[in-house]
Order: sequence, then C-alpha cells, then structure tokens
Amino acid sequence: MPNFTEETISVAGGNLQVYKGGSGDPLLVLHGAGGNAGPRRYAQALAEKFTVYLPSHPGYGKSDRPGWVETMQDLACFYTWYQEQEGLENVRAIGFSMGGWLAAEMLSMTGHAFSKVMLVGAAGVKPNDGEITDIFIISPAQVRDLVYHDPSQVPEWDELFGTDPTPEQAQQAEADREMAIRLTWRPYMHNPRLPAKLGRVNVPTHILWGENDNLVPVECAGLYQQAIAGSQVTVISNCGHSPQIEKPDDFVQAALAFL
Amino acid sequence: MDVFYFTEMPYAEFPESEAEKFPSMRLTFPNTYFDPDTASGLMNRYLDEYQYAEEMGFDGLMINEHHNTPSCMDVEVNITGGILARITNRAKILMLGNMLPTSDNPVRLAEEIALLDVISGGRIISGFVRGIGIESWANNTNPIHNRERFEECHDLVVKTWTTPGPFRWEGNHYHYRAVNPWMLPVQKPHPPVWVPGTGSPETVEWTARHRYTYAAFLTPLEVAKNLFARYREYAASDGWEPGPEKFAFMICAHVNDTDEKAQESGKAFLWRMNYPLRGPREYWSPPGYTSRAGAAAVAARRPTPLHEMTYQELQDRYHLVVGSPDTVIKKLRHIRDELGIGSLLLEAQGGQLSHADTMRSIELFGKEVIPALKD
Repeated sequence: MPNFTEETISVAGGNLQVYKGGSGDPLLVLHGAGGNAGPRRYAQALAEKFTVYLPSHPGYGKSDRPGWVETMQDLACFYTWYQEQEGLENVRAIGFSMGGWLAAEMLSMTGHAFSKVMLVGAAGVKPNDGEITDIFIISPAQVRDLVYHDPSQVPEWDELFGTDPTPEQAQQAEADREMAIRLTWRPYMHNPRLPAKLGRVNVPTHILWGENDNLVPVECAGLYQQAIAGSQVTVISNCGHSPQIEKPDDFVQAALAFL
Repeated sequence: MDVFYFTEMPYAEFPESEAEKFPSMRLTFPNTYFDPDTASGLMNRYLDEYQYAEEMGFDGLMINEHHNTPSCMDVEVNITGGILARITNRAKILMLGNMLPTSDNPVRLAEEIALLDVISGGRIISGFVRGIGIESWANNTNPIHNRERFEECHDLVVKTWTTPGPFRWEGNHYHYRAVNPWMLPVQKPHPPVWVPGTGSPETVEWTARHRYTYAAFLTPLEVAKNLFARYREYAASDGWEPGPEKFAFMICAHVNDTDEKAQESGKAFLWRMNYPLRGPREYWSPPGYTSRAGAAAVAARRPTPLHEMTYQELQDRYHLVVGSPDTVIKKLRHIRDELGIGSLLLEAQGGQLSHADTMRSIELFGKEVIPALKD
C-alpha cells in the first residue's frame, strides 16, 4: 500500500496542509465541506496509479486561511495560485461535493487547471426540483445520517466514526464547519452564474453521483452534464452522497476507467 | 435607579405543547399557528399596557425584536418605537434593540432612529444588538460575519449621526456614495447607546471601550457581577470610572396584591421560560456565531438552562421576581444593591399573563414598588 506523507507548504502567505502519496502522474483531490478525512481507502487505491495530492482547503484542518479567502471564487483563485506554484497545472483532478463545486469554479476560470476532472456529488449548481440539504441547520450527527445511504456497507465506518472524537478533533470539526459556512452560506452551496460560465469548459469531465444522494440531489448530475459539453455521467446505485467512502471499490473502478 | 417596563409581545394563544412536534418554537415552528385577528388584539393590548406603564410611573419603556417566533411579535423596534414615541410623552424609549449584523442598510437605520428621536423629543435610547443565532437564520446573514458586521454597522450609524454629510463610506460590508440623511437625532452627539449581553467577553470589552451602557440579560447575579467587574476593569485601563448609569440588568418580574395571588398569576411567565428557550444548538448558535472565548463563557454562565428550572428555582435565582409589593421591593433592592446598576429592566408582561393581571401589576409597580426603589 502506498505511503502517504503529510507536508506543510506555504501558499499565498499561509500554510497549506497536504497529504501526498503514490507515484505516477499527479492527481489533485479536493475534499468536501466536511473537511479533509486524509488518505482513505479510495485515495490509497488511486495512489497505486497516481501521485495523489490531497490538500486541506484554507481554513480547514491545519491549513491557514489567508484573510481574503471568503468565497468559493476566492478559494478557486487560491488553488490556481497553488497549482501554478507547485507545477500542478493541467493535472487530473477529483472534486467531492463542495470540492466538486470548487473544481467547477476553477474550470470556469481557466483552461489550464485540469487535464481531466471528475465531479462527485458536486455542489455548486441549483437543482430545479429538489433542494441542496442545509447541512448547517442540522447537527453533524444528522448530516452523517443523510450522507450514507447504508452505513453497513461503509468499509471504513469504524475507523471514521467508531470512537467519539477527542476534544481536539471536536474543535477541529467545528472550525471546519465554520469555514464551510464562511464559503457557502449565501447563496447556499451554489453559484447561480456557474452553469453559464461552464460553457467554456473543454476538458474531459466525468460526473459521478450516488443514486441515493440525500444532500445534493442526483438531478444536479444532469444539470452539470448540460452545462459542460461532452461530459459523461455515472450514477452508482444503492449509494449515498459519498461514493468514495460508501462504495470505494465501485468508485475507484469508475475513477480509474476515466482518469 | 430607573425602572423600565418591557414585554416581548408574545403570542401565547395556542397549546404550547404543539412546539414538541418541531425542533423548536422558534425559526421553523410553522406560522400556520398564527392568527392575524388574534395578533391584532394582542398588539393593541400590549401598546395600551405600555401607555399605562408610563402613566403609572415607569421611567422607561423597553422594546425588543425577534423573528420567526411566537415569543416575540415585535419584528421591528423602529416601528413600535415610533408608536411609543407618539403615544407617550415622558418615558425614555429603550430599543434593545436594533440588530446590527442583519441590517443591510446602516444609513437607513441611522435615519430611522434619528426620526424616532425627533418625534419623541429626544427620548430614544438606541440599543444595538448582535441578535441571537436564530436571527442569522431568519435574515440569512452569515453568522461568521456577525461581530464584524455589528462593529462596522455601528461605526457607520454613529458616523452618520455625528459627522456632517455628505461623506462616502467604502467598508468591508457596507458601501455608500453619499451619506447625507436629512434626518438627524435631537440628542447630541447622538442618542445613548446600550448593548445587551449574556456573557460574551468580547461584548463586555467592546461596550466598555465605547463607554456605552451594558445590560446583562437574565444572567445569574454572580455572572452579572463578574461581567460588570470586567467592564470596570476595561474602563480603568482606559483611565475612567463608570457610574451606575453604565450598568443595567434585565429580569422578569410580577407583582400582585398578595404573595399568594402573585405566586398564582406569576406562573404565566413559565410559558416564556419554557419552549421559546428550547431548540437545537444550530438554531441558537450557528457555527461561527460565537467565538471560542464566547462559547466557553456562555457554557460557564449558568449551571442549568432557564427552561430546565422550576418556578421556585427561577425565583431563587432572581430570573423571575414574583410577589406582593413588599416582597418585590425587597428583592429588587437586593438586586440593585448587589449589582450597583443604574437601570432595572423589568419584563413585567410575559407569556400568558392576562391583561387584567398585567394592568394590576403595572399599577402596583407604579404606585408602590418604583417609589420604594428611588430611595
């Protein structure tokens, strides 16, 4: 199994925490609103083929927040800065949930960000029929209940949720939640102008969703597909909002086939 | 010591246990329980009671504002303040207050308060509040910006009152080309500013640094004492000594002819101490609304939440003072002497307290209790 290291680099005048592991072409992985869970099983599997970069977004984990990072567009600007500095432009990327929205904002800003990109249960686009679940007005435990369609099929459940968080972990989770609120409060978890701006995208884009996503309605997969010419959609059945955690084998198979 | 009359203007006209069907009686409790005709009667009744409170001798009338809750029908202190400005002629009007962080237009706010000061002939006390977490949801204002918007909104309102226009404002949250409202307050340099708190250390410091009056809301006496002591420390470090006028304390209070009668009628206050104070942490304190220091202070401030206290406990801890005039005078003197406050804010109508009991209470406060607190 590939070794991951945790490093801290300086980007835009602040520290950025990055998990890095594996070998091969770079693969940038952008975590969701809940924070950086580190190199889980899916990341280990991807690291067999790629050098996986898994940064904690500014304000998350051990990463500093430069004072100007207030919005998702600021965050996208930050990451183009990171890519340029680290020689990580035109790389493969996967964005989960809010990280998918981030990837889409980056796609809308520059053709240099990614060579191929996967958007997984991505926020960012307003559903027509449903609503993106407000994860801030309910408790973290309630959010978790909604994220996973069938907890019994989550192979890393005990590792992730088996023990009560330490006070430090609880405080970190609260800080992560505050950063998510800062970035996505209003309009909640979407950018009304994003679909129009995605008209410029001309890199291969794969949209992947859990069929039973209770946070970001699966209809958003179709809306992303409409917005991004030539994009493909895969829906994983019997699966919630986080296929990479709930069904890592299916997820990795789909990711490797595309990437 | 000045004594203020206050009601949250509750709508308690439905079975309160309905609240159990929902996460809280606030924010998401369905407004299908609201009947406008009932509300019309209640609002006019409450305004009559304010008028009577002035007539009976209260020094001031306090109003507040909340959203999405039957516990408080006053959704805009500048509207009710405008009514009181016109239907009363002596009492101070304490608006505690306008929610600064949820305001998108501080210049309009400055104009409105100035207009009230003009209509009332300079009787306005302009309270500025952060709003409880629920107001961030109801107004959809990012809780992470609560304190910085509070401060910037305040700075702009005060500058609007005190700096000749026109001037320009390009801040972080607020931007104006020509701040130059025609309407300015009567009181110079501007109406007194009060700020309420329940324990957040930053609020005490900010209030002391600005030399505003700090009002502790429904805290245990010990907590209020500590908050006031911190205020005095900040003042001392800035080289000044605050008088009693810088300190106010808010409690619920009810007086009736005898202790026995008061104990019976005072139970109506239990409504406001119960469901309206319950609800998920996310409602009351969304992530980012409270700083780490604030969260720690709030966690430490009360041994038991108000809604878990019995009627007796609420009274033992001076959150609710109930009794005959003599009993209430004794208790309120105790509070005054313990805290060294210049103003006592009495929520004297609360929950399901009837019009008749409210009027009798106002009368007894005016005729017997308030004069005895002036010695």
